[in-house]
Amino acid sequence: MNRLKRISRHRLRRKLLRDLSASKGLFLAVTAVIILGVMFFGATSIGYQNLKQSYDYSYDELRFADFTIKVKEAPVEAVEELESIEGVASVTGRVNADIALALPGAESKRVLARVITLPADNRPAVNNVNLEEGSYFEAGDSDVLLVEKSFAEHHELEPGGNVILIADGRETTFGIAGIVTSPEYIWPAKNRQEILSSAETFGVVFVTEDAAIGLTGSSSINEFAFIVEQDADRDAIIAEAKQRLRTNSTIMDVVPREDQPSNTAVSMDLEEMGEFSEVFPLLFLIVGALATYIFLTRIVHNQRPQIGLMRAIGYTRRQVLIHYLSFALTIGVTGAIVGTIAGYLLSEVVTRFYVGILGLPYTQIQIQWLPIGEGLVLGIIPCAIAGIIPAYAASRLSPAEAMRIPAPAAGRKLLLEKVFPFLTRMSSVWKIPLRNIFRNRRRSLYTIIGVTFGISLILVSAAFIDSIDYFLNLQFERIQKYDAQMVFSPTQLPPATMVSEVQAWDEVDRAEPVLQVPVRLFRGDEEYTTSAVGLPPDSDLYRLYSTAGDRVNVSDEGILLSGSLEGVLDTHVGDVIAVVSAGVKEVQFYQVAGFLQQPMGAFGFVTLEEAQVLAGGQSVISGLMLDVHPDYLDSIREKAYTVPGVASVELTSESNDKVVELMSFIRNMMWIMLGFGAALALAIVFTTVTVNILERRPEIATMRTLGQDKGRIASMITIENLLLVIVGIIPGIPLGYLLAIYLFRLFQADIMTFYLIVYPTTYLWTIALIIVILLISQIPSIRHINRLDLARVIKEQST
Amino acid sequence: MPDTIHAKAGDIVLKLEDVSRTYQMGAIEVKALTGIALDITRGGFVAILGPSGSGKTTLLNLVGGIDSPSSGRITVDGIELSALDDKGLTSYRRNHIGFVFQFFNLIPTLTARENIEFAAELVNAPRAPDDVLEVVGLKERADHYPSELSGGEQQRVAIARALSKDPPILLCDEPTGELDFETGKHILSSMRTINKQDGKTILLVTHNTAIGEIADRVIRLRSGEIIEDRINESPIDPQGLRW
Ligand SMILES: Nc1ncnc2c1ncn2[C@@H]1O[C@H](COP(=O)(O)OP(=O)(O)OP(=O)(O)O)[C@@H](O)[C@H]1O
Ligand SMILES: [Mg+2]
Repeated sequence: MNRLKRISRHRLRRKLLRDLSASKGLFLAVTAVIILGVMFFGATSIGYQNLKQSYDYSYDELRFADFTIKVKEAPVEAVEELESIEGVASVTGRVNADIALALPGAESKRVLARVITLPADNRPAVNNVNLEEGSYFEAGDSDVLLVEKSFAEHHELEPGGNVILIADGRETTFGIAGIVTSPEYIWPAKNRQEILSSAETFGVVFVTEDAAIGLTGSSSINEFAFIVEQDADRDAIIAEAKQRLRTNSTIMDVVPREDQPSNTAVSMDLEEMGEFSEVFPLLFLIVGALATYIFLTRIVHNQRPQIGLMRAIGYTRRQVLIHYLSFALTIGVTGAIVGTIAGYLLSEVVTRFYVGILGLPYTQIQIQWLPIGEGLVLGIIPCAIAGIIPAYAASRLSPAEAMRIPAPAAGRKLLLEKVFPFLTRMSSVWKIPLRNIFRNRRRSLYTIIGVTFGISLILVSAAFIDSIDYFLNLQFERIQKYDAQMVFSPTQLPPATMVSEVQAWDEVDRAEPVLQVPVRLFRGDEEYTTSAVGLPPDSDLYRLYSTAGDRVNVSDEGILLSGSLEGVLDTHVGDVIAVVSAGVKEVQFYQVAGFLQQPMGAFGFVTLEEAQVLAGGQSVISGLMLDVHPDYLDSIREKAYTVPGVASVELTSESNDKVVELMSFIRNMMWIMLGFGAALALAIVFTTVTVNILERRPEIATMRTLGQDKGRIASMITIENLLLVIVGIIPGIPLGYLLAIYLFRLFQADIMTFYLIVYPTTYLWTIALIIVILLISQIPSIRHINRLDLARVIKEQST
Repeated sequence: MPDTIHAKAGDIVLKLEDVSRTYQMGAIEVKALTGIALDITRGGFVAILGPSGSGKTTLLNLVGGIDSPSSGRITVDGIELSALDDKGLTSYRRNHIGFVFQFFNLIPTLTARENIEFAAELVNAPRAPDDVLEVVGLKERADHYPSELSGGEQQRVAIARALSKDPPILLCDEPTGELDFETGKHILSSMRTINKQDGKTILLVTHNTAIGEIADRVIRLRSGEIIEDRINESPIDPQGLRW
C-alpha cells in the first residue's frame, strides 16, 4: 500500500510538472514576481543586518561614547571627578576645536578642520580611532597628526605628508603620521545642521594633547565623552555629571549617542533600508500571491473535467487538494529558493557598495540565517495561502458536475448599451471588447488589479526620485541663491562693515551678511540645539519660503523656524519660544512668526540685528554670501582668502555636487526600485492578460473559423486591454501616492526634510510606461493565438 | 413494474429503489430521472438505450457514485451508497467501478500509458497497462499523448484505463460513439469477453439500438423513466453486428 501511495504521488508529480511546463510562460512570470520580492527582501535585509553588525562592531571596538558633554572650559582633573560617578565605565576628556587648515601647495585655500585631541602614549578610553594606514602617536609627539580617512582620500593625503594648522593667525606645520577612521565621523558631518559636509571644506584631524597646548596656549579641555556601565541609568548619570561640572565650568551642550550627528545620519539611512526591506518586498509578495491565485484559479478552471475524472476514478479529495496546492507551492518554493540565493549574492554587493561609500572602520559580512529563513518563509507562505483557495475549490468539485462541459458565460447587451443606444450601433471591434469586459467581470478585475499594483509601484519609486530632485532644486536653486559663502573663524568675526568692503570688489555683484549664533531653543519640555541665523530683512541671496511655498522675509515680528521644528518643539505659529545663547546672560523670547520649507538642517531665522543681540550685542557677522560675477567664479575663492579671519569659502556648486553625490546612492536605489516595480508590473500584467486571452482560445478559434482576420482579433484584444488599463490606472495613482506618503515618513528628520512631490510629467510617463508594459505583455499571447492550430483547439474542447 | 425479472436473491449486485434525480436550474426543475427501480445481476451485460437527454448519463453517474440521487436508494454489493461519506464513496469508486465517460476522458498532459497508470496505481492489484492497451489494440500507441490520438483512439485508451483497475463493475457511456464500425465491433467483442471470462458486470449506454442486441438485457429510458426492460434471450455475437 505504501509503495502504491508512493507511485501515485510520483504520477501526480509528473502531471504537475507537465502541466506547469505547458504553461511555462505564466509559471515563470508568476515565479519571477516571487523571486523579485524575495530577492529584494534578501538583498536589503541581509545587507541591513550586515551593516548594522558592522556599525555595532565598530562602535563596540572603538568604544563609541554613550553621550558627550561639551563645556566652555574645564580643567583636565575634572575627568577623575566624573569617572567616580556611580555607573560610569569610562570618561575621556579632550579638546575639540574648529581651526583653519591649509594644504601644502594650496596655501591660499583654507579648510575648516575639526581638531580633536588624543592621548599620545595610549589609546583613549572612549572614542578611539582605527588606524587604517601609517602609525599612531608616540609619547612626546607634538608635531604630527592623524587624518580622518574620507578627508585624506578627498585631498589625497598620505602618511609622510604635511598639513598646516592656523590658530590665531599662527601657522604650524604638522606631519601626517597616519590615516584613521573614527566612530564619530563614519558620516563626516560638521554638525547636526550641516550633515552633508563637503570634504572640500571640512575635515577631521586628531592631534596629541601636547600639540593642542601648542596650538591654543591652554591646557584646559572642552569636551567629555562617556561610556556608561551596562544597565546603568544614563539620564541619571547625565544629570549627575552636569551637576558636578557646573561648579567650575559652563555646560554648552549634552549630546546623547542617538543625537550624535554621524550616528543620526547613518542610523536614519539604516532604518530607511530596514523599513524598505520590509515594505517593498511585502508589496511584491502581495502581488505574487495575487498572481499565484489567478494562475491557479485558471488552472483549476481549465482542468475542471480532469478534476472530475480524478475524483471519478477514485482519487481522494485530499489528493486533489494537495495536487493543486502543489502548483502554488512549486511557485513558492522555486521563487523562495532562487530569490534567496539571488538576494544573498546581491546583499554582498549592496553591503560592499555601501561600506565603500562610507568607509566603515570594520565590516562584518556574515551568513545571516535569520533573514535567509525569513526570505524562504516569505516566498512560500503567500503562495500557499493564495493556492489554498482554488485548490480547496478543486477538491470540492462534484465529479459529475465537473465533467459536464460548462456552458460559456452568456454575453449580453450591456446596461450601458441600453442607456446609450448608439453604442449598439458601433462596430464590433468596439462592441465585442466592451461586452467581454462585462461578460467575465472577475477576469477583467484581475487585469485591473494587475495594472493598479503595477502603476502604484512604479509611481512610488518615481515619487521618490522626483522628491530628491525637488529637494536639490529647493536647496540649491531656490533657497541658496549665492554662488559662494565666506565663513569666518568664530574667534575672528569681522564687523558688519565688512559687507561694503567686499561688495566693492570687481568680482562680486552683490554681498549679503549672515550671522549664525549657536543657540538652544526651548518650548515647554522640548528643547533643540541649533543656530539662530541672522539675515538682512531684504535678503535675496538666501531666500526663505513658508511651508505653503510663498516667499517670506525675516522681520521684527518674531522668529521663523524650519518646518521640522514644528514637530520637534511641538510648537505653533504665535507661540513664544525661549532662546538661550552663550553670548547673552538673559534668556531671549521670541514669538514664532512662521514655519519654513527647509530641506537641510533646522534653524531659527531672525533679523541680523537680533542675531547680533544673541551674539552678545556686537555688530559682527559670521559669513558673507556672495553673488559672484560669472567671470570670476574660478578665482573668487583665492580672493576671499585674502580677508583675515576667513576659515573657509564654500562654493554652492561644490556643495551641490557633494549633496548630489551623497544622494546618488539613494537615488540609484530608487531607480533600481523603479526597475523592480516595472518588472513586477510586467509580470502581473503579463499574467492577467495571458490568462485572459488563453481562456478564450476556443472562442477565438471559432471567430477565426468564421473568417475574422487576425488583425481584427488583435485589435479587439488590445482595445479590451486598454480599456481595462484605463480603469486600473484610476485607483493605481492614488494608491501609489498613499504608499509614497507611508514610506516617506521615514525620510523625515530635523536634519533633512523631504517634500513629497510628483511632477505632472511623471504621471504622464508612468501611464505611458504601463501602456507600453501592457502592449509588450500581450505580444506572446497574440502571437500564440495567431498561430493557433484551429483543428486542434476544436478537438481539445472535447477531450 | 418489471423490476424483478432477474430476481435471483444473492445474485443481485446492483439495486436501485425508487431513485429520482432532479436538477435545480434557478427557477426551473429538471427531472433527469424519476422513480427508477432496477436490480442488476452479477455478471450481467446490460445495455441502456434512450434518446438524448433521457437520463442515461445521469443513471451511470448515480451508480458510479459521482452523483447522488435526490431521493431513493442505491445499493451496490450490499453497500448502500447514500450511507457513504466522501471517503467511502472515493474508495467505492476506486475499487468497485471502472468508468468510461461520454465526453472528457484523458489527461492531456499524460501519455496513453501514463493515463492508464494514473488510474491503475490507485488499486492494489491492477492489470498491466500494456495488457489492457493490447485488449483495445493500441499497444503501439502507448507513448502518444491524447492530442496525437484520434477521438476513437482516445476512447479506447479510456476503456483500457477502466479495465486496468480490474473493477467488478464497468460503466461505459457511449464507448463506441466515436468509433468506426470495425473498431467498434472489436471493442464490443473485447467487452463481451471481459464480461464472460472475468464475470464483470457491464452497464453500456448507447443510443444505437443495434448495439443493444449484444447485451443480455436491454433497458430503455425516455424522459427519465424506464419504458422498457427486457431480457435478450439470444444476444448476438458483436462480430455479427451491423449498423
Ligand atoms: N448538472 C445538471 N444540471 C442541470 N440539468 C442537468 C444536469 N445534468 C443533466 N441534466 C439534465 O438532465 C437530463 C438528462 O441528462 P443526461 O446527461 O442524463 O442525458 P443523456 O441521456 O445522457 O443524454 P445524451 O444522450 O445526450 O448524452 C437532461 O435534460 C439534462 O439537461
Ligand atoms: Mg449522456
